[in-house]
Amino acid sequence: MNLEVRHLTKRFGGVAAIDDVTLDFPSGSLSAVIGPNGAGKSTFFNLISGALLPDGGQILVDGEEITGRSQAAIVRRGLGRAFQVAQFFPTLTVRENLMAAVAAHRGQWGDLARRFPPPGARTRADEIAAMLGLTESVDRVAATLSHGDQKLLDIALALALEPKILLLDEPTAGMGPEERARMIDRVQHVWAEQKLTLVFIEHDMEIVFRIAERVAVLCYGRLLAAGTPAAIRADPAVIAAYLGTEAPKP
Amino acid sequence: MNGFWRDSGVALAALVLLLGAPLAFSSPAFEDFIIRLSALALFATSLNLLVGGSGMISFGHGLFYGFGAYAFALLMQRTTLSLASAVLLTLFLAALVALLVGAVCIRLKTIYFAFVTLAIQMLFYSVIISWVSLTGGDQGLQGGIPRRVIAGIDINQQGHLYQFCAVLLVAGLFAMRHITASPFGMTLRMIRDNEARAAFLGIPLWRPKLAIFVLAGVFAALGGILASLFVSGAYPEFADWPFSGQAIFAVMLGGIDSFLGPLAGSAILLALNDIFTRLTEYHGLVQGVVILLFALGLRRGVLDFLRVLPGRGEVASR
Amino acid sequence: MDLGALVACFASPACVVTQASSGLIVGLLLFLVAAGLTLIFGVLKIVNFAHGTFYMLGAYIAYSVLQATNSYGLAVLAAAAAMAVFGVAFERFLIARVYGGNVLMQLLICYAVVLIFDDLVKLIWGADFHAMGMPEAFQRAPIFIAGGVVPPFYAGLIVLSLCLAALLGLGLGFTRMGKIITAAAQNPQMVAALGINTTALFALVFGLGGGLAGLAGALAAPVRSLSPGMGFSILIESFIITVIGGMGSIAGALLTAIGYGLLRGFGTIGFPLFTDELIYAAMILVLLLRPSGLFGREIV
Repeated sequence: MNLEVRHLTKRFGGVAAIDDVTLDFPSGSLSAVIGPNGAGKSTFFNLISGALLPDGGQILVDGEEITGRSQAAIVRRGLGRAFQVAQFFPTLTVRENLMAAVAAHRGQWGDLARRFPPPGARTRADEIAAMLGLTESVDRVAATLSHGDQKLLDIALALALEPKILLLDEPTAGMGPEERARMIDRVQHVWAEQKLTLVFIEHDMEIVFRIAERVAVLCYGRLLAAGTPAAIRADPAVIAAYLGTEAPKP
Repeated sequence: MNGFWRDSGVALAALVLLLGAPLAFSSPAFEDFIIRLSALALFATSLNLLVGGSGMISFGHGLFYGFGAYAFALLMQRTTLSLASAVLLTLFLAALVALLVGAVCIRLKTIYFAFVTLAIQMLFYSVIISWVSLTGGDQGLQGGIPRRVIAGIDINQQGHLYQFCAVLLVAGLFAMRHITASPFGMTLRMIRDNEARAAFLGIPLWRPKLAIFVLAGVFAALGGILASLFVSGAYPEFADWPFSGQAIFAVMLGGIDSFLGPLAGSAILLALNDIFTRLTEYHGLVQGVVILLFALGLRRGVLDFLRVLPGRGEVASR
Repeated sequence: MDLGALVACFASPACVVTQASSGLIVGLLLFLVAAGLTLIFGVLKIVNFAHGTFYMLGAYIAYSVLQATNSYGLAVLAAAAAMAVFGVAFERFLIARVYGGNVLMQLLICYAVVLIFDDLVKLIWGADFHAMGMPEAFQRAPIFIAGGVVPPFYAGLIVLSLCLAALLGLGLGFTRMGKIITAAAQNPQMVAALGINTTALFALVFGLGGGLAGLAGALAAPVRSLSPGMGFSILIESFIITVIGGMGSIAGALLTAIGYGLLRGFGTIGFPLFTDELIYAAMILVLLLRPSGLFGREIV
């Protein structure tokens, strides 16, 4: 699915956190959103996913406007997201987390006629766990997982909704180099296998320029530049404002 | 559905044991204890549907217990409804009240929710105290529950009342067990664990919250009905705050993460209260000290303490 | 319901003065209790369910000190000081042990303290109602304002409470500690980030809240009957006031408490049976329309 934002604007008490941003994420693309701290990257995701209401502009999924819809409605439209701080259900096991998400996705959250899990949920949950390499941890209580596995579980929960568009807010935040590589590997794998439109926020430029097909640069709420990694690397405005003196490695 | 059959087996065994006990040994004190336990345990378990099962800490759950007792006693005294109809009508009315109260309360955050439910309970209590012509005021609703024999069961006879309470206790617990073990029960656990994530999985939070508030109210009212049968009337204490406090203590004493925790807590609390009452007139003092020791020492319920499932050893505290 | 009587009362200055003064003392006493409750909530994010116990103990201590020394001033000071110390001890030895834990544990500890002290009061002073009686200093002819009778104690209480409210407002607004408390109520992270000793701050807030509640109990003792359960009804009332006024807002608590007192004062004439219900209805309405209270900021 194609995701598009037009003239998106959000102000917090007069300060524009997102200022007239227009961007297009073509169906099946892998895009990165970068920018210094406070550039408005998380706000951008919160607007798209319906956690915040924009002050102006439009959000379109396959040409259909979803601006102002509830989070639940946007989820049903095929948009999933994972969070900067992993969001999951800490007292449930990994499998229970995923089975519950699968049940919710199938509209069985209010089902009183049967026992949990509903038929088929377990198989589906284990499939998703396998997709993210969580198979060995399925019976562990989520709170006891490592930081990296918790981030993976967060993404797995989003995948349980069978999204067509997936937003990942800093999937590698707080990880060591090894965990980072594993996470990026998984993200690429999931993107290719599920034919997702994937957008991720990332601080590590090496990762961004290695895997992203397209890069958008936000700076103080404004869209500074957007294009292929090569074009971004060469963009003088980006180098000046964001990449600074430390020029990206070739 | 393995869980369903296992729970059915447990329920059936418990029922056989309870109903068979008087045949093996006749002990009015035991029967009396079970009758009182049935009311408190249904109430405490229904409270735990909210507290432990959904993370909604209600401090005014006694409203529904008191409502159940008064509504049932009044229906029996003032109408000619049969016992079963009076029970069902009471539960239906309790559901309506819970729907109204829940509509106001469920969107409030933790502390607000706790105290606004308490305030609404105290509003109900003040209505009971001031509406003397209907409720008997602070003297309680006197005049007894008229006897209506149905299918050979005469609830004014202790033996029959015991059977009636035992059946309703087991049936009520079984029904609540089914709720917590259903996909709906899992949805509530998701909301308890992480509301924001649950919302982003497409769950409209207010619907399951309101639904469990109403269900918990209905089961609390069932407890109130049994209490009303036991005391042959109703007392304002049922809807007073110390009773809600006691139930919270029972829930925590037994363990909020175990389904049978509130039942165990209720049994321990009733037994302790019986002992304290015999020893001293200051049982509030003794009970308060016990609660402090529990809260500062043990810190989690008896069943939660005993229950060490593989891989679940240390669940993150909430 | 007797609206005719209410209209007649409003037409008579004497009746207005009498009812307003009795309403004001209800409201101002409640304010002293609610101010502590709202501060403790603002700074510690804890609803002190045992706050009514401070009030009750304040009243009983004042009762005994007055009997022993025959000095009402000393009785009031003793009650306030004792409850300030009690508040600090309560925070340090009990509440501090469950910070960051389950809210249920906090409620349970408060519940236990209420049970224990209700029974201790029974044990020491007996289960019967006690009347302190009017202190000698106030046993003089009533003041007449526009034909309305105002007992001298009422006048004294109103003046004293208003002074205390002003003092509290000035203290919070203009002293260093007061500014820290105000800042902590609005933004706890900031205060922690500034490196302020939160342990001392929390104890201080509990001491202040406890002292105010004890003071309120001592001031109420001459005009209220003393009984072991007296703390609970005032807790519920002050909770309603903090909810309507906005948790954490002192000004909100003052205005709401005065409004509440006046509603009670005139309500006893116009609709004596429904005043309680009316107040609960007001609280529910406020919560539906403005969940953070009339004067509260978005802190929940």
